[in-house]
Amino acid sequence: MRDLHVHYGDFEAVRGIDLEVRRGEIFALLGTNGAGKTTTLEVLEGFGQRSGGSVRVLGLDPATQRGALRERMGVQLQEGGFVDELTVAETLRLWQRMVDRTDRPERLLERFELTARRDVAVGKLSGGEKRRLDLAMAVWGSPELVILDEPTTGLDPESRRRTWDAIQELQEAGRTVVLTTHYLEEAEALADRVAIMHAGRVAVQGSLGEILASRPAGFSAIVPGGAGELPAVSGTVEREPVDDGTRIRVRTTELQRDLTGFLGWAADRGMRLTELRAAPASLAEIYHAVRAGETEVE
Amino acid sequence: MSDAGRVLALAGTELRLVLRNKTVAVSSIVVPLAVGVFWAFSFGASTQPGMTAMAVALQLSIVLAMGIYVTATQTVVGRRHNRVLKRLRTSGISDTGLLVATVAPAVVIGLVQLGIFGIIHAVIGSPWPVDPFPLVLALLGGLALVVTAALATTVVTPSPERSQITTLPLTFLLLAAAAALAVVPSQGWWQALVAVPGAPIGRLTQLAYEGGTWAAGPVGLPALLPAVAALLVWPVVFGYLAARRFRWDPRH
Repeated sequence: MRDLHVHYGDFEAVRGIDLEVRRGEIFALLGTNGAGKTTTLEVLEGFGQRSGGSVRVLGLDPATQRGALRERMGVQLQEGGFVDELTVAETLRLWQRMVDRTDRPERLLERFELTARRDVAVGKLSGGEKRRLDLAMAVWGSPELVILDEPTTGLDPESRRRTWDAIQELQEAGRTVVLTTHYLEEAEALADRVAIMHAGRVAVQGSLGEILASRPAGFSAIVPGGAGELPAVSGTVEREPVDDGTRIRVRTTELQRDLTGFLGWAADRGMRLTELRAAPASLAEIYHAVRAGETEVE
Repeated sequence: MSDAGRVLALAGTELRLVLRNKTVAVSSIVVPLAVGVFWAFSFGASTQPGMTAMAVALQLSIVLAMGIYVTATQTVVGRRHNRVLKRLRTSGISDTGLLVATVAPAVVIGLVQLGIFGIIHAVIGSPWPVDPFPLVLALLGGLALVVTAALATTVVTPSPERSQITTLPLTFLLLAAAAALAVVPSQGWWQALVAVPGAPIGRLTQLAYEGGTWAAGPVGLPALLPAVAALLVWPVVFGYLAARRFRWDPRH
């Protein structure tokens, strides 16, 4: 996907993004509501009309070759798509006749733990059960590419974990998965590569390792008293007076060197540090930085 | 599976759903049927062809309007609202096939209702049309009118609830125009009324029962022609609107 633009009237929902998803990987599109995630997926699905840029999905142009593409692609919409009056089994049997890929309703009922609910009207299912049925339809016949729009929104932690298992199974079977989410831990647990979208643009893109390495790590501790003269560090230092001393926060790309210097300095003065913490940059930090508009758009 | 197979599978499911939903079953099946049967006994038993024409024109229009037009609009808007259309577009069915299958149950139900009226007329001994050709045209043109009108109406109907309002004007017009045209004189300025959507149905039914289909009408052309022209224009207009503006997704 190169320089994708999508307009709705005067509103530009997607403002020039480049995305590349490799075969066999799980790719997560992170972002707040209104960041343009669903709009981007709709272009991949062949539903959204782009106003600029070029897009290839499995080598096909989704806008003009949707027919050929959908045989190889399974889609889970963000919500809905069900006839409430049909039962779970009827829904899958209809799907069996609608989709070109072959699969068996029984297998999917079992895989997604819906066998006991097979004769229940879809309108009477819980949110989690509906989401499972939704996923079952998206992975029907094991398509080459599976697009999932917020597959775990509204699920309890247990169902979320089981959905993750199902997504990982797809990858083990060699399928490519593109998903959107606003849960950071979901992206961390599943995705090989991540793009963080904000206001219609991709702010950060890459593997989790690359993204985290690109941002400074940090450490913090409470130093008794006013802390006086601190040792020289390569990163930035913040001080904040607290009840029993001063909280020091250091953000640095040289975590080990700066932390060693800091600990040596404290040891020389016989200081007892409290609440000492050191961590690499987290996805959460980067995400919040993107939302606050700190991260430069690439 | 071929697209035809998919259309049949989906249309069959949709038909079962109409029968399963009591509200839809009453408004789409019971009401038009009851009113049509009432008209059959009120006007159809008369030996005057004009009265039978009136009954048949009313029956045609109530089935086309309530049985088909309203039901088809509600079904398409409802399926779009719940994103069923959007999901099915990710399956193998073609876009045309998807619309055909969604609208087909309403058309099938309408044809069955008309069949029932036909049987009732035969049983109570209503006069037969002297020329069935205009009646067949009225039926085919009417079907084209209400199906395209239903798709065009979905464009201005944001939610299933709203379809109860957006389908009212044309429903009313269809019934009023067909009834009026079955009785108004076929001379003079009255003929301009035939341009109202649905009015040709009344005019053609009148010709079927009273004859004169090929008699010289305005400017010496067969009497049938203005009605046929009007019958073609509206489906083309509605079809054009639907093709240009139809939306699959409730969001945008």
